[in-house]
Amino acid sequence: MSFFSEDRASELKELFFESAQELLQTLNEEALALEKRPGDTETVRSVRRTVHTLKGDAAACGYRELSELAHQLEDVLTPELAQSAQATKIPEVVLAAADTFQSMLAAYRNNLQPPSGEALRQHVTRLTSAPATPEPATLAPKFLWSEYEQVVIADSAARGNAIFHVALQIDPNCPMRAAAMQMIRNVVSDCGTVLVLHPEENTPPDKIDVVEMAIASAHDEQWIARKSHIPAVVKDVVVVRAQAAPAPAPAAKAQPADDNILEIPEVHAAPAPAAAPAAEVHGAEPKEDAAKAVASDSILRVDADRIDAVLNLVGELIIGKSMLLQTVGEFDKRFAKDPLRGKFADAMAFQARVLTDLQKSVMKIRMVPVEQLFRRVPRIIRDVAKNAGKEVALQISGQDTDLDKSILDTLAEPLSHLVRNAVDHGLETPQERLALGKPAAGTIRLNAFHQGNQVVIEISDDGRGIDRGKVVAKAIERGLTSADEAGRMSEGEQLALIFHPGLSTADQVTSISGRGVGMDVVKNVLDRLKGSVSITSRPGDGTTFQLRVPLTLAIIKALLFRVADRLYAVPLGSVLEITRATEGEIHRVDNHEVAQLRNEVLTLVRLAKLSKRKASPGKKLFVVVIAIGDRKFGLVVDKLVGEEELVIKALDDHLVATDLVSGASILGDGTVVLILNIQAVIGRLGREAAKGAHA
Amino acid sequence: MSDPVRVLVVDDSALMRKLIPQILERDGSIHVVGTAMDGTFGLKKIEELNPQVITLDLEMPRMDGIETLREITKRHHRIPVIVVSAHTTQGASATFKALSLGAFDFVAKPKDAASAHMENIATELITKIKAAASTKLPVPKVDITPLPALRRAPKGQGKPHAAPSRVIAIGISTGGPNALQYVLSQLPGDFPGSLIVVQHMPEGFTDLFARRLDECCAIEVKEAQSGDLLVAGRALICPGNRHMKVRRMPLGNIVVLSDEERVNGHRPSVDILFRSVAQEFGREAIAVIMTGMGEDGADALGAVKAAGGLTIAQSEDSCVVYGMPKAAIERGHATRVVPLDMMANTLQAQSVAERARVVKA
Repeated sequence: MSFFSEDRASELKELFFESAQELLQTLNEEALALEKRPGDTETVRSVRRTVHTLKGDAAACGYRELSELAHQLEDVLTPELAQSAQATKIPEVVLAAADTFQSMLAAYRNNLQPPSGEALRQHVTRLTSAPATPEPATLAPKFLWSEYEQVVIADSAARGNAIFHVALQIDPNCPMRAAAMQMIRNVVSDCGTVLVLHPEENTPPDKIDVVEMAIASAHDEQWIARKSHIPAVVKDVVVVRAQAAPAPAPAAKAQPADDNILEIPEVHAAPAPAAAPAAEVHGAEPKEDAAKAVASDSILRVDADRIDAVLNLVGELIIGKSMLLQTVGEFDKRFAKDPLRGKFADAMAFQARVLTDLQKSVMKIRMVPVEQLFRRVPRIIRDVAKNAGKEVALQISGQDTDLDKSILDTLAEPLSHLVRNAVDHGLETPQERLALGKPAAGTIRLNAFHQGNQVVIEISDDGRGIDRGKVVAKAIERGLTSADEAGRMSEGEQLALIFHPGLSTADQVTSISGRGVGMDVVKNVLDRLKGSVSITSRPGDGTTFQLRVPLTLAIIKALLFRVADRLYAVPLGSVLEITRATEGEIHRVDNHEVAQLRNEVLTLVRLAKLSKRKASPGKKLFVVVIAIGDRKFGLVVDKLVGEEELVIKALDDHLVATDLVSGASILGDGTVVLILNIQAVIGRLGREAAKGAHA
Repeated sequence: MSDPVRVLVVDDSALMRKLIPQILERDGSIHVVGTAMDGTFGLKKIEELNPQVITLDLEMPRMDGIETLREITKRHHRIPVIVVSAHTTQGASATFKALSLGAFDFVAKPKDAASAHMENIATELITKIKAAASTKLPVPKVDITPLPALRRAPKGQGKPHAAPSRVIAIGISTGGPNALQYVLSQLPGDFPGSLIVVQHMPEGFTDLFARRLDECCAIEVKEAQSGDLLVAGRALICPGNRHMKVRRMPLGNIVVLSDEERVNGHRPSVDILFRSVAQEFGREAIAVIMTGMGEDGADALGAVKAAGGLTIAQSEDSCVVYGMPKAAIERGHATRVVPLDMMANTLQAQSVAERARVVKA
């Protein structure tokens, strides 16, 4: 059925969608560049090139609608247009095009009928044409005779005949076209000799709207017009007497002269570029273009699944390594004097090193620079800024920081949400800013960096900041916390209240706190990623959101410990420190167990409802101090086992009916270890403690 | 069997860099040795991979196709380049510029995923690449500076349509654009014959092709429309995706375009033109079969010969692809075999009044 095998075809389609996505991203960037420098021919040219490639690719994949639309856009994007008065409208149209193409792509991907793109089409045509004149309702014959027909007409004229060009418009309501054509032929042959008749005889009659002919006749124009005006068949008649010259004179009522065209005001209300302050967006300068191009030329596109398969195998190898290590350990004990021991040790060390490198290399394959995430931000800022009447300068740093591709993809949504909020609610209007002595343009800063096993992404603004007092007041009013509790919270904890669904979805808060809608979504995503989000804000100076995510989801360094003879693990990245305590040092305050950690009071959490057990005050315990966001908790454990690299095996939702465990792993000796979902554990145990208080 | 043809694909679209090799590798005798995303890398990869044929996209960032082609011809003038061109006016214009700069030939990018369409593109691309790889000639390069206005002035318009001394039908394919330009530009403005040309070329390219020829030839060149007259000193180029026939009419001789099925896989087809020329003009006709792959026109050349017309085949050593002339010669249908550089002279000599068997109007 298809030229390519099914596999090939779907592979090509996949590639198409992927590269189309990149082309659209480029298109967005180019449009933004163009907005800053309207009429820059070089940029217009690169826009055209991008659209051109998209057109070609779409056509080759059979996505005709997209291809045609792109073709239209490509055709109007001429250097002349860039120089014309219309140049300022180009960015708007290109951005609209990027959006339309995007939705078409989405439809194609889901095998749906793509949107018609009619709005865009009109947008595009408006770029070049003075508003189109409405279809002339009246008959406007062209009388375009071929060379031979002209010879025939000239020949007849040379014999002294008067020549008339006749055009008949067939009544659209006329039912029997074939019969109508016959009547017309009969009538005109009564008028004189028909020299030429268009359309040709074999044209299907129902396709004919206008009949054009040249007649040699002894009658005059009026007579021919009257005669050929057959009621109910012919709607309109134009008769023109030919001049002596063989070339037909254009009919008087043919076309309105160009300068008669009325300026029809544009119906659609595109905001005049001057009216709304243009979003001033400073994208990160594309540095080392050439170097990047070299890289992308040798880029190999590989299905993420295949990499995951390799990663899985590496995971198995790591388990294999620990098995071997354990066996060698036993061997050591049993044959302490055996000379093979040294050789085993050497081989083990070597294998471990190679394995570590292998693992790192495979992990690196999955890593992509955060830039891919940041690239979308300028467009978002531009749109929001334009709507909200803000001026924004964007600063980007750390875009080279690498991050696991799947994490990066998941972060796109929360990031754009935070950016949108920062511009919309965080920044003041230019007037307000000037009144406060700030520069009119607000600054949004994006930053990314590695920290241990985590990647930190920061979104800051220099806007009005969050009014902590109001957030707290609102939270108390809504019963989300008590005044007492709120009083004990750190600043960060108080600010973090806006992530609470009960608060964040309430729209009134938006105007008060300057933040709000959908913040719980941001937090949920970060939780899912085993990351965290924290806020710092100074009223008047701005707000910074800090997103922390693990470098990768597949393999983690973990701390292993036992509670009630069960083996658990927590990601080492979230462990701040480990301290010792005795039952006697644990106190109860407000239904929470707390312990003193240097100068701080640490809330404790116990697994497996240990709190119900009778505690002997002398019993020694370990407290694992864990940070979530900027809150600290102490996890009370019986015994520390050690630190190990765990290959996370996802647990089927059907098998594990709890969210307390985020995954499991297998140790070298075959033991299964459960990896705790700290967020959930603290949430759950914290709640239970609170419930206990009410009971 | 010889070693596979080593091909380098230069295209800025990632999709095309995948699709074109996949099309090509269906043919065992072609091996895509590499791809490059723009001209700069293309040139680098030529050094590294030593390809025999290059397919080149014209619209690319940084170093575009035309510039790349210039560099290739400057540095590696023996590597033939096949332009993979888009269906746009700008695309056609750049394509002809590329041809005049020495590109071997061009194919139109696929514009549809339909199987039949892909099959055509694939066949065309594969045969052109093989033809390019086996050609011994350096690609003929013609100077296309438009004629000074003085010589161009009296073309076509103004002077009365003169009946031609002879009707000359030309069938031409791969290597055609340059060869045709070479021949037509040597004919004088008062050339007494009337030329009708079928050049295998996709729709959308022929109009521009005719206009470019018109700019650099003393005779008038135009894309044919149904009803155009056969007049002295004019060449009519058949539009892509249509067939062209000739017809005697009471007041002159005309061309008629039609949309019949493809013949020999081609529309326009040389066979259709030659047959109709043989039928209508018999011994007044001259049929010329020139460079191109395949056999289109070879059969019908025999019909012209049988009707008493003069039949000419382009000589092997002057053909970029010696396919169509070879087929005609092997069938014994060619009366004369003429090298490219003698073609214009031969046509002139055969059409001048004293030798002409005047085409009666």
